[in-house]
Amino acid sequence: MAGIDIAVTGLGLVTPGGIGVGPSWAAVCEGRSGAAFDPVLADNPVRISCRVPGFDPEALLTARRAHRLDRFVQFALVAAREAITDAGLDPLTWDGARVGVVLGCADGGPGTVEEQHHALREKGADRVSPLLLPMQLPNMLAGQTAIEFGATGPNLVVATACASGATAIGTARDLLALGRCDVVLAGGSEAMITPLVMAGFAQMGALSRREDDPTRASRPFDADRDGFVAGEGAGILVMERVEDARARGAHQHGRIIGYGATADAHHMTSPHPDGAGVEAAVRAALADAGADPDDVQHVNAHGTSTPLNDVAEARMIKRTLQGDPLVTSTKGVTGHLLGAAGAVEAAFTLLSIEHELVPPIANLVMPDAEVDVKLAYSATSMPIDLALSNSCGFGGQNTVLALAPA
Amino acid sequence: MLEQLKEILSNKLKVSPEAITPEATRDDIELDSLAVVELSLLLKSELDIDVSDDDLLEAETVADMVALMETRSAKV
Repeated sequence: MAGIDIAVTGLGLVTPGGIGVGPSWAAVCEGRSGAAFDPVLADNPVRISCRVPGFDPEALLTARRAHRLDRFVQFALVAAREAITDAGLDPLTWDGARVGVVLGCADGGPGTVEEQHHALREKGADRVSPLLLPMQLPNMLAGQTAIEFGATGPNLVVATACASGATAIGTARDLLALGRCDVVLAGGSEAMITPLVMAGFAQMGALSRREDDPTRASRPFDADRDGFVAGEGAGILVMERVEDARARGAHQHGRIIGYGATADAHHMTSPHPDGAGVEAAVRAALADAGADPDDVQHVNAHGTSTPLNDVAEARMIKRTLQGDPLVTSTKGVTGHLLGAAGAVEAAFTLLSIEHELVPPIANLVMPDAEVDVKLAYSATSMPIDLALSNSCGFGGQNTVLALAPA
Repeated sequence: MLEQLKEILSNKLKVSPEAITPEATRDDIELDSLAVVELSLLLKSELDIDVSDDDLLEAETVADMVALMETRSAKV
């Protein structure tokens, strides 16, 4: 949909860097890792994670609501509230029928499922909570957000694993371009740091085992990387057509000018070794934006810190984007927020454009010998006219967003 | 019995304590059908009182719920 300009007028973040855009952005710019020993994982093969520091749902949402919402929904409501306030919108007066909610997550509420499965085993089926399903179903992410803010327009949750948050933003762009609504709350949220889920990731060999030095465990593109560190949190964007944002005099953080989505059709977990699927998504996003691949100046890479992903992605960037863009991965600080990663990183990319500042790749000491792209070793000031935010999910699902200044 | 119900409602279901008065209706303390099932389970596990969610839905106020609890408790 070349020529369709979508403005981002509100940002909300809950990340391992902190609660809110300010603390989260400061943490990634300082390269301050949020990884630490996690007592919840004390009996697990890998016992480190990137938690959201100081997240008190009862204080942030009231005790009554916190009791009835899984953690992945709690994160989303807090981030959405910040984004709506930032956009200067008022849910008490807006036309809710024209407000859509499109959010992504990989797994819904596994914490609630595990807790209730324990109740089933220990006490019997008649002691399972009636809130089990309404708390953990993935669609509740958008459903509860709609309830909270009176948004009665299109409402959906997308699941493309670790690309979910970015896919939600791309889908929201399409809905706005088609005129299905005037405002969309788009993004992703995830709370998957549970003993069972993390045992599964560990058994796959996907997690870093650097338990003796957690803050150095997530090290995208570094020769010494050995897997990702799981993170949690949410990123929500308020999106509007540029003409609508201008008409109401809203501040614009930047624009979403292109969206590309593809599948590797290759393997259930391994990325295509030469990054063919991501390349196709990059080309699709740039074609959607009406932009030339050589004009890309900055890439917020998927950059998980796993041995396979980073090399495949770097090869793809080298081959596809000849303009030598500056590449970062904010996962060195936040860990991998899974279904929320794409949304949080789209927000960071917009902040890079707005502040003309690319955050460093935390813990990058010596790049992998096979990585031949320009990497951000330190925070770098630079104007950015065109940036990409890459996201890839298990199952070979790729989403790329093309972002530009307001 | 009112105090025991209050404690369960506020500590377990996180209902605001000041809202829990004898005259308060289910709407006043935000007890929808899901919360009523939760309350039924908690009355059994915490106080060993059998009051079904259907019975609780018949109770209009907190005082009615307490009366129901006292009746069922007396039968044990």
